[in-house]
Amino acid sequence: MIKVTIKCFSQVKYALNQNELVLELKKGFRSSDLEKTIRIKAKGQLDNISLRIAINQQYITKNTELKDGDEVAFIPPVQGG
Amino acid sequence: MIKVEIINKPITPFISDDSRKQIGAELVFNGRVRNTEHGKKIIALEYEQYEGMAEVELKNIAVKTCDKFPIRDLLCRHRIGIINVGEISLHVLICAKHRKEALEAMNWFISELKKLVPIWKWAIMTDNTRIPSECEH
Repeated sequence: MIKVTIKCFSQVKYALNQNELVLELKKGFRSSDLEKTIRIKAKGQLDNISLRIAINQQYITKNTELKDGDEVAFIPPVQGG
Repeated sequence: MIKVEIINKPITPFISDDSRKQIGAELVFNGRVRNTEHGKKIIALEYEQYEGMAEVELKNIAVKTCDKFPIRDLLCRHRIGIINVGEISLHVLICAKHRKEALEAMNWFISELKKLVPIWKWAIMTDNTRIPSECEH
């Protein structure tokens, strides 16, 4: 098993009502698998929201195998400015 | 010179510097909090950031802007936390030899910031409820 921390912001925080989650996952779990898990936890509240993924504070563009200790964020459309 | 900051207090503008002898254009942008969100009155916006990543992304965009456009200085302060209607949330100063490149650089920098920097707004409504902003402009 591996342990990852999920940072929640904006609509993800609103949908899950949490700032942060720590999940134990099977080895080999990938970023796309975790996105599905998060969307299921949100019970439809993230269905129409595109989420970019950052691992250890860097955007990723490919489906990536997660490692023990990773910090993952599902980033809804950003709104700086 | 490049300088970016994310701060949790009112923004102090960068000083307009008369000693810069090679600068023909000094361009300042102030983004302010409007009093409505999708037609509803608000009293403030609360900006949240992904601490660490937001400042790194902001710096990366500033560096790319200086690589892409012939400008001399790009200074940026982005405020987070609760910002009341009318107050400044974003302050950018760009200096260049000519206005054209300063204007183009400003437009590109802010557009990239709005695409990539992990900062979000929560609207604080007149009844003090707090909801994620839907604004993506």
